[in-house]
Amino acid sequence: MSNGADLIRQMAEGDAEAFARFYDRYAPLIYPLILRILPDPTDAAECLQDVFWESRQRARTYDAERATPDAWLVTQARERAIDRMRGARRRRDAAPLGTSPRPRLAEATAPLERSAAVDRSVLMRAFERLPDPQREALELAYYGGLTQTEITARLKQPLGTVKTRLRLALDRLREMVKPT
Amino acid sequence: MSVSHEPFDTFAALHAVGALDGDDLRAFEAHLAAGCDRCATLVQQTEQALARAAMAGPPEPPPSAVREQLVKRAAAAGAPGRRRWLPWTLGIVAAAIATGAFSAAYVAARYEARLGQMARETAAAKERVARTEAELREELALLRDPTTLLVELRGQAAAPGAVGRVLWADGGGGLLLATQLPPPPPGKVYALWTLAGDAPRAAGVFVPDESGRATLRVAADGSGGPVRVLSVTVEPAGGASAPTGAVALAPR
Repeated sequence: MSNGADLIRQMAEGDAEAFARFYDRYAPLIYPLILRILPDPTDAAECLQDVFWESRQRARTYDAERATPDAWLVTQARERAIDRMRGARRRRDAAPLGTSPRPRLAEATAPLERSAAVDRSVLMRAFERLPDPQREALELAYYGGLTQTEITARLKQPLGTVKTRLRLALDRLREMVKPT
Repeated sequence: MSVSHEPFDTFAALHAVGALDGDDLRAFEAHLAAGCDRCATLVQQTEQALARAAMAGPPEPPPSAVREQLVKRAAAAGAPGRRRWLPWTLGIVAAAIATGAFSAAYVAARYEARLGQMARETAAAKERVARTEAELREELALLRDPTTLLVELRGQAAAPGAVGRVLWADGGGGLLLATQLPPPPPGKVYALWTLAGDAPRAAGVFVPDESGRATLRVAADGSGGPVRVLSVTVEPAGGASAPTGAVALAPR
């Protein structure tokens, strides 16, 4: 069975079969993350399609020295999902007042009710094992796509505090999920 | 390694989760560009930890239509990412328009086009810088030449308020700098003349900018003899073999 890096190399050569196998292997693992960021299933499915097509188009530039196939794909998936979420947020913000609810903190951190599979994800469990202030900051950044300045405004905490919480959260996360 | 690597350890972690912004982001990007392996590794490890956690959960099958569309599209497309610009870009745009669903590919094509434009602009900018550098080197050589003379020119009938200076070296040519020159009459230009032997030699024509300034680089006079006179006259735009028009600048 080919590993992820082999499949990416074959995809880069235009191997349609390798592309299908790459999708079969990774799509069910990536989809929960996209759903977490884009709760609307139509949005999430479109995003998933974009992510995989883009991964095929960019396969030639994949560098196994720089990222594992997992990290390569998850980074793309998260970026695309957050781009879409921001686009939707901008459109919603541009709507006349009263026609659409303003984005709320809860939207970025709302627990996902749709899928038990998502709720059980190791990532969420890892997040849950963080102290609340660290988890809150990390969820706003990872799922909400907010920057340190935006998180500072949301949480009404000093910038230095937000940076420290994120740093500690990510240090702990690295420890929690590091290969054994 | 510096004595303290902070704040870059923190920046690296935050960068991996996309939370860095503002001055911190600029400082970190510059730090990474300077080649900090420690930060590059930390970003990579953090991204991989997030990916590992994200993909370790129970799978969630996506809608089957996504796979069907992707497989169909991949079968119709050639090998991805080859550097055949026009067919590739056209192919991407056509597919995006035809399906109306693959916005990422359309965006990619636009980025490619923009990158092409940026590459052309960069090449043009490099060429301009190279030209400017060559000109500056010539001017510097002129200034360093111990035989270089400074010839002051005064405004004459055609440009009474004008002032000019010429740096001139018989073996290395010269540089005319003039200010307060009025625009030449329609169809006319200013022409610089050098007189080394008996006949004046055309050393170039020019038009001042909107502020009345002009700079003209003059190649070395091939006559070999020392230049005795420099002057500027108003001549037809097509040029003249000898000064015929009113004098604009002449030595004091």
